[in-house]
Amino acid sequence: MNQSKGISKRIGSIQFAYMSPEEKRDLSATKIITPDTYDDDGFPIEMGLMDAHLGVIEPGLRCKTCGGRVDECSGHFGHIELAMPVIHIGYVKEIKKLLRSTCSECGRILLEEEKTTEYLDRMEEMREMGGSPLDIRNLAKEISKDARKKGRCPHCNTDQPKIKLDKPTTFREENTKLTPKEVRARLERIPDNDLWALGINPDVTRPEYMVLKVLLVPPVTVRPSITLESGDRSEDDLTHKLVDILRINQRLRENRDVGSPQLIVEDLWDLLQYHATTYFDNQTSGIPPARHRSGRTLKTLIQRLKGKEGRFRQNLSGKRVNFSARTVISPDPWLSINEVGVPERASRELTVPLKVTPMNLDYAKELIKRGPSPSTEDGEYLPGVNYMIRPDGRRIKVTETNAEAVAEKAEPGFTLERELKDGDIVLFNRQPSLHRMSMMAHEVKVVPGKTFRLNLAVCPPYNADFDGDEMNLHVLQSEEARAEAKVLMRVQEHILSPRFGGPIIGAIQDHISGLFFLTYDNPTFTREEVVSIFSNLETDRFPEPVEEDGNKIWKGKDIFSYFLPDDLNMEFKASICQKCETCDKEECQNDAYVKIEDGQLEHGTIDENAVSAFAGEVVDKIARDYGTDAGRKFIDQITTIALAVITLRGFTTTIEDEEIPDKAENQIESVLTDAENKVRNLIEAYKDGELEELPGRGQKETLEVKVMKELGKARDDAGKIASKHLGLSNNAVVMARTGARASMLNLTQMAGALGQQAIRGERPSRGYEERTLSHFKRKELGAESRGFVRSSYKDGLNPVEYFFHSMGGREGLVDTAVRTARSGYMQRRLINALEDLMVADDGTVRNTADKVIQFDYGEDGIDPMRSKRGDAVNMDDVIREFKKRGE
Amino acid sequence: MTMAKKDTINALKRRGVDEESAKKLVKEGDFLLGDVKDASKEELMEYLSEEKAEEVLNQVGKKGKKKSKSKKKKSEEKSEEEESKSKEKIEIDKFEALSETGKELKSLSEKEGYYLPRALIRDIAESVKEHDISEDDYEEVLEMVNERVQNRKVDPKESVGIVGAQSIGEPGTQMTMRTFHHAGVAEIGVTQGLPRMIEIVDARKEPSTPSMEVHLKDEFKDDREEAKDLASRLEITRLKDIADFEINIAETSITIEPDMETLEEENLDIDEIAKDLNKKRNVEGEVTQSDEVINIDVEEGKFSLLYQTVEEAKEAKIKGIKGITRGVIRKDEGEFVIYTEGSNLKDVLKMDKVDIEKTTTNSPVEIYNVLGIEAARKSIIQEAKDTLNEQGLEVDIRHIMLVADIMTNEGELNAIGRHGVSGRKTSVLARAAFEITSQHLLRAAILGEEDQLDGVAENVIVGQPITQGTGAVDVKYTGYPEKEVQKDEE
Repeated sequence: MNQSKGISKRIGSIQFAYMSPEEKRDLSATKIITPDTYDDDGFPIEMGLMDAHLGVIEPGLRCKTCGGRVDECSGHFGHIELAMPVIHIGYVKEIKKLLRSTCSECGRILLEEEKTTEYLDRMEEMREMGGSPLDIRNLAKEISKDARKKGRCPHCNTDQPKIKLDKPTTFREENTKLTPKEVRARLERIPDNDLWALGINPDVTRPEYMVLKVLLVPPVTVRPSITLESGDRSEDDLTHKLVDILRINQRLRENRDVGSPQLIVEDLWDLLQYHATTYFDNQTSGIPPARHRSGRTLKTLIQRLKGKEGRFRQNLSGKRVNFSARTVISPDPWLSINEVGVPERASRELTVPLKVTPMNLDYAKELIKRGPSPSTEDGEYLPGVNYMIRPDGRRIKVTETNAEAVAEKAEPGFTLERELKDGDIVLFNRQPSLHRMSMMAHEVKVVPGKTFRLNLAVCPPYNADFDGDEMNLHVLQSEEARAEAKVLMRVQEHILSPRFGGPIIGAIQDHISGLFFLTYDNPTFTREEVVSIFSNLETDRFPEPVEEDGNKIWKGKDIFSYFLPDDLNMEFKASICQKCETCDKEECQNDAYVKIEDGQLEHGTIDENAVSAFAGEVVDKIARDYGTDAGRKFIDQITTIALAVITLRGFTTTIEDEEIPDKAENQIESVLTDAENKVRNLIEAYKDGELEELPGRGQKETLEVKVMKELGKARDDAGKIASKHLGLSNNAVVMARTGARASMLNLTQMAGALGQQAIRGERPSRGYEERTLSHFKRKELGAESRGFVRSSYKDGLNPVEYFFHSMGGREGLVDTAVRTARSGYMQRRLINALEDLMVADDGTVRNTADKVIQFDYGEDGIDPMRSKRGDAVNMDDVIREFKKRGE
Repeated sequence: MTMAKKDTINALKRRGVDEESAKKLVKEGDFLLGDVKDASKEELMEYLSEEKAEEVLNQVGKKGKKKSKSKKKKSEEKSEEEESKSKEKIEIDKFEALSETGKELKSLSEKEGYYLPRALIRDIAESVKEHDISEDDYEEVLEMVNERVQNRKVDPKESVGIVGAQSIGEPGTQMTMRTFHHAGVAEIGVTQGLPRMIEIVDARKEPSTPSMEVHLKDEFKDDREEAKDLASRLEITRLKDIADFEINIAETSITIEPDMETLEEENLDIDEIAKDLNKKRNVEGEVTQSDEVINIDVEEGKFSLLYQTVEEAKEAKIKGIKGITRGVIRKDEGEFVIYTEGSNLKDVLKMDKVDIEKTTTNSPVEIYNVLGIEAARKSIIQEAKDTLNEQGLEVDIRHIMLVADIMTNEGELNAIGRHGVSGRKTSVLARAAFEITSQHLLRAAILGEEDQLDGVAENVIVGQPITQGTGAVDVKYTGYPEKEVQKDEE
């Protein structure tokens, strides 16, 4: 095992080539002649398709070629000698090209000598310049096209007959059929020198090999037969196909040898061609696919490789792994963002290899003695050992009963499979894995229950919620992997997103509401309250109290400041900012201007713009300037106290939060009625053809635009009236304004009116003949009949409104479904196109061919993750720091 | 060893040079094939024995034929040079000029040996001015800036490609599918969101909603009338838009009655229209015109010809530019700009009164065809950025630049996908794993392709560590340096 020694061998390169019949025979372990597989006793028949020379699939048997057992022998190829040659379906186009651009008599390319050399020089130059295989293929295409133009061979002066391809595999020359044998003979005549020009490398192959004389039979390990419960054997699709080929091949040989009529031989030959074709590709157009007895189409060679379920994408680019677990996730605010809660069941199953050395021998023995499921006297989880692995690879299972005995046998050089314990590094992942933050390294914390637990602040990078989401966990198995994961993949290393150079991990929802209540208008807290808040943290220190009326009290802003670095200086606007025309800055009436001086929150409210994922300025600055450790600590602490504060205060939202005074409701009513009247007038004008057309639009379009605008305005006005009565004393409003959850639009839709429902950006217009619902008049264009909802969610929708609202809802669902598929494919293409790009040591971006894509990454060589929202340097910061220095 | 070097060795071998000398020359001497061709015997002898060098020169060195070729090339180059000289030189300010402070900062930073991007210097100049920082302190500010810049440089071996692709792909799920969104100019619907993004990376020949932004030259940009005039010259007008058609089957003739009012409004002449109709190839028959009516007499009895002629006449272009169906004038930042539906950059740029520097289209492919690859790159960046910003999604410009750069790297526009960038990969396995698996494998076999296993997908497939990031370096532990060990022992 070279696992511990690192990678000692690397495959340097893989050469592709197409085999000659001789090479195939050389490679073959045995010739296959009988179409039968097993004899009556269940033993493989010699020179049959399951010949023991081809490898072993049954445990206990040994390979007749190499003597290896099931896992040791990867199988050997066999071969079939075809009675008559057949065309390889994958190369039909290539053969056509060759036949058409070479002389039917002398085999030379249909180009003058000089022209050929000129082309060859061009091809050579292309190779030197690092041209891709695609370019070379295209040039070869061009050459053969050029050659095809000639009706006469420049070398021997023969007139060239037209060659047609009858799909899929029949060639015709002036209406006489060319047998594969004749085709092969022609291809044989093409000299090596001309092959380069035709896109074939004579060093690795010859065109005549594309007409098969020998068929390679894949090893049985590639097409294992399975034994059903009933004892019957079921053969692989490939074996079935090979049986077909062998049967026909035999009949063809017999008929040919006894001199049967030409017609019969030809029929059999065609049949052999059919089977050979479907053996390679069972989806060849123009011929019916070969089927299994049950009617299912066979999966032959190309089907095995192709597509999403094919070998390449399913088994080679991604693999199933051991040491992984999957279960439902649930939230746990008591964990650090760096941690993940792993349920006991999973912890007992997942293991970390532990090398026994002279230094840890005693510890290892102690560990084994505990057995596979130890716990403390209080019933708390302790890691045990599941297996002990000896240097020869034998695994000894540790059980309750043999634990003592196994422990005694432990020696340096053995490996133990130790169960998970707190602090182990694991990878945690949620699909779809759209960016690198979808898989991060966490530290294990074994917890009761059956779910994985994670801190709420890491929901945004995983895009996780707890409505039944499941996540995967992978346990790292080598020291290198653990070190790498810890340095590069730890959650705290990903607080800043490389997508936009801002935080993607930060406070969400109640965290933000909690911090709002802690800091808005700087409330005071009593000693008991502060103790209650700080009891959630692992700290024995308190912020300094202030004296007021002889009592020691604590100010909210001071409590928050306690978690800020001492030299932090910042200024920005909070999310609750009303965007007044002139900003009063420190004097802000809404306490929305945040100013932090030397780690002290002097003014302003902490909300979305300060601490949230995506927008949090403070989180951003701390993670960037004070290091990821400080960032992690800050997020852990402020989210914890935020929850403590919100728990202390209590927080809920009810339908009463959408309650507005009757007066306001009447106002909204009249606004909506006004709007509906205006729409009516517009429709009148439209019917009279008096609408003033917007540039480039007809009457009808103008009407639609104007109606939409009018009704949109009505909804906004209704919303404005409603918002006037929704202040910050209202919890729902707090959530919307601080950016914790929802938006003012949602609230106004609940309190005011829902507004116009749109389908594809237009008012609904289809359904019944010239109306949307059967009870409307035909050609009716009014607000109500075209999806305007004047009710609010609180009042409830009438049936018609509900119907239109559902239309809008359905559109949203369809949209989401289509979008995921489309954007998934776009991302796959983007990844595939860009995956090989890497920053070289000199700062250039290069691809695998060492070609420069960018001379300086991003034109300035700045890492987007380390940038401040794209800027290399935040000048305000620099100036502030400079001025500080001067003081 | 890089691909290129291996290729050179192969090329030398193909020319009959033995493998050993080929390897020596390429590995030790860093020779490319061209270098070997041009090299003198002495140069080669640094790496090879005398006879070998001679042999190599005989096989690879310049032959008579090649010489004549290169001469020919030279003469071609010369004529090109002359040609370019004769062409009128258009001078364009490549960069926005720096302010005085900026210049000062620039020379100062150069003196200190800092490499700071121009945009950053401009930034510094601005804030230094805003905060009244004295010139004596510039050096210190620059030092602080430089320190930050150095700390934020991207690490070598960083897989920026994957990060970039993820950064553009991930927000894709958050984009809307709604095709039409009346952003900017309400009258012109432009494809937005995910469909637009896909369109951009696909490098489609024609976007689903081509559109142009036509600016007027400085002297006309404040004049609404000029803008209106230009817009009406842009919009394509067909005969059917301004005329009534009447078909007389009995006489197999067509009567066309243009609306005289519109004609006058649009400054058109009936004679001209008739003349143009006569020139049209598919208008078969005799075109005659009176003051207000055009008549076309088609050969008697040929009804299919009659109808063909009608259709052709209806579609006849009266004026405007091919492809542009509508132009809307809008006042943007104090100047009148025409937004169009449909796009034809080449023809629009030829019109007078059009500001050729500012006028643009939303199709990168068209920009590539008219203005070249660098402009196309810029256009891709701009379009992608606008699309993302429109959706309120924040994506670092560097990721978009990388996509634009790989699309334009070959000097022509390549799409992201199997017909473009992915299809041109050097690795057989990587291509096979992406799409059209079997063809790639079959073709690789007859071309004798060699997969160098340099990329990501290939190495994943064969099961070895990838060559980026920590996989690109080896760590070797050599124990304590020997000297120290000895000291300890002493």
